[in-house]
Amino acid sequence: MLGIKRSAAALSLAGLALAHAANADTRPELRIGVVSSMTGGASAIAAGAVATINLMQERLGQDAELPFRVTFVKYDDGSDPARAVNAARKLIQEDRVHLVICCTTTPASLAVNKVVEEEKTPNLSLASAAAVIEPADQHRFTFKTPLTDRLMIVRTVDYLRSKGYRTVAFMGLEDSYGEGGWVEFQRIAGEKGMKIVSAERFARGDTNFTPQAMRVVRQKPDAVYVHAIPPSSALAHESLRRVGFGGEILHGAGSSTAALIAVGKKAIEGAVVGTAALTVYRQLPASHPIKPVVERFVGLYEGKYGAGKADLFAAQAYDTVNIPVAAYRQVVAAGKASGLAQARLALRDAIEQTREYVGVTGIYNYSPQDHLGLDGRSTFLAIVRNGKFELLK
Amino acid sequence: MTMDALTSLFLLVDGLTNGAVYSLLGLSLVLVYTTTRVVNIAQGEYITFGALTYASFLESTLAPVAYVVAAGGAACLLLDLRRARHGQRSLLRPLAGYLGAFLALAVLCMLSLRLPFAGLRMLASAALVAALGPIVYRLTVEPKPDSSTVVLVIIGVGVAMILHPLALLLWGPDPRPVPALSDASLAFAGIGVGAQSLFIVAISLAAALALYLFFRHTLAGKALRAASINREGAEYCGIPVVFAGRLSYFLAAALSGLSGMLLAPLVTAHYEMGFVVGLKGFVGAAMGGLINYPLSVAGVFLVGALESFASFLSSAYRDALVFALVIPILLWRNRGGAAHDE
Repeated sequence: MLGIKRSAAALSLAGLALAHAANADTRPELRIGVVSSMTGGASAIAAGAVATINLMQERLGQDAELPFRVTFVKYDDGSDPARAVNAARKLIQEDRVHLVICCTTTPASLAVNKVVEEEKTPNLSLASAAAVIEPADQHRFTFKTPLTDRLMIVRTVDYLRSKGYRTVAFMGLEDSYGEGGWVEFQRIAGEKGMKIVSAERFARGDTNFTPQAMRVVRQKPDAVYVHAIPPSSALAHESLRRVGFGGEILHGAGSSTAALIAVGKKAIEGAVVGTAALTVYRQLPASHPIKPVVERFVGLYEGKYGAGKADLFAAQAYDTVNIPVAAYRQVVAAGKASGLAQARLALRDAIEQTREYVGVTGIYNYSPQDHLGLDGRSTFLAIVRNGKFELLK
Repeated sequence: MTMDALTSLFLLVDGLTNGAVYSLLGLSLVLVYTTTRVVNIAQGEYITFGALTYASFLESTLAPVAYVVAAGGAACLLLDLRRARHGQRSLLRPLAGYLGAFLALAVLCMLSLRLPFAGLRMLASAALVAALGPIVYRLTVEPKPDSSTVVLVIIGVGVAMILHPLALLLWGPDPRPVPALSDASLAFAGIGVGAQSLFIVAISLAAALALYLFFRHTLAGKALRAASINREGAEYCGIPVVFAGRLSYFLAAALSGLSGMLLAPLVTAHYEMGFVVGLKGFVGAAMGGLINYPLSVAGVFLVGALESFASFLSSAYRDALVFALVIPILLWRNRGGAAHDE
């Protein structure tokens, strides 16, 4: 009995192998290398992106319509820039990938730039800071998909001006995130004629935000801009209200998460938060080009990982995979997919020629001068009403 | 910028609330130092664990730290059993002790999962976090009884480096809101003072007084002090020195955990909340030379008030100012020459 079972198993295995050989994929290959911070301090940021990339790997693997097959090689950098550099080098030299998606954090993406320039391999970074791609002539092979603080702050300052405000106070974290926001805010507010009357700092571990709030209030600004992440941003907001500030309080994109409302509760009502389409897509008009893309992404993502799970970090990675896949169609069509070095260069050029590509994060127009490719059409302001983010029109 | 009287009063009240938060920490540090000579850098992490454990119970879920305590307790039991067998003593005593502690914790956890009383849940969280104290002591300090102070400090750094990411692993990065014990607010000379702040101040002062009385006026307290001053001499007098260390870690973890639970309604519970509070408690406790309870309490209130005013005057430099306070404190402690302190 056992013998029969065994031979049956052997037969079916052989059959499988044959069937596989018959279906062997003869399409050219697009090899994508991914370095993300699956572990370590940045793992909370990377989690959504890792989940999206796993989802895309599954879907692209099943996609028989593509004129090429997509394979992924993935490494963890442990939130350490030195390990990110090693992983990227290994991907390019040993795994012979056409493209790297690296890295989760700004420091790692900055460190890896030298490697991708030397090896002439395109890189799509998931880091937020504009420094990752600027100046573009020294970052020929690095592109990025997430919105920058700069775009968001331009939108916020334009809003302040449209309300007729003249003076504004800044409150922010004293880490690299807060510092980045301060540098941009100072410059953009200055250019647009807003007067910054006070700039206060706090840390994530602080137990008391009232002294800073009191100092802000004494300068009587028309509005306050808070560049921090929850819980600090929500606590700073609460403190401002506690000491009697009645004006408008705005927050950076770091606060456009459910945690802001969970922590701030009633005190956060009326807060204006800079955000991407994902947070407010349900309220966008049906004619808005980004809306159907976000709907498709949310359907895919939440179908696999559960309702309400899709966040901005997950959304960014969706564009990061789809843009090079779209670009590689052109490479294959132009017959430049043979030879690794040629294919890498052709892929870089094709990504740079991406025009009016509608992703989840926004509408991309890459150019030799701009490796972010996004503009004001990708930024949105939401207001907290009844414990929910509502699109501010 | 000039400050009017009302602003100053506001800052002072906030500073004193902060000082009260730091004071439970400062007391824990003094408690651990006076009994074991360990300058416990990891003390602030118990704040994080206390707050997050309490937040978990408030969501009616078993705090994941319970598994850590169970596993750690099992490891300690094995070590104790091995030692008892080497010393040819009865295995029954450690077994009974650990079993008793396990049952007590299990019953507390079960009850606080079923019954929605804030007080019960605080007690269960405090007990769980407190149990972590002796486990850490058993696994890190107890195997090295004659280490120098520096080695013990480094052990503390190591423990902090394990506990900090452990909190991130167990609870994730999202902050958890914790409701205040009471939402009442008192108007005091034109300033709104939350009832939570008053609770914090009252509990901190009560804890300081209780510890002071315990060490000055009870036999057990005196025995604990004797154990720290001269380990061998205390042992000859029949004081169980190992037990003294575990007890002090237990009490210190309970106090710090309580401080975290009181602090959480003000700043939410998240994995990064404890460490810096621990350091500020340390600055305050330095004023009492890590041995004097009343002076340490005075020190942490000074730190709280200074921090509040520094945040108002120059928020970018407030932490630098607070930590720079250590220098005048050390100069002041050494005013009678190096021989003044131990």
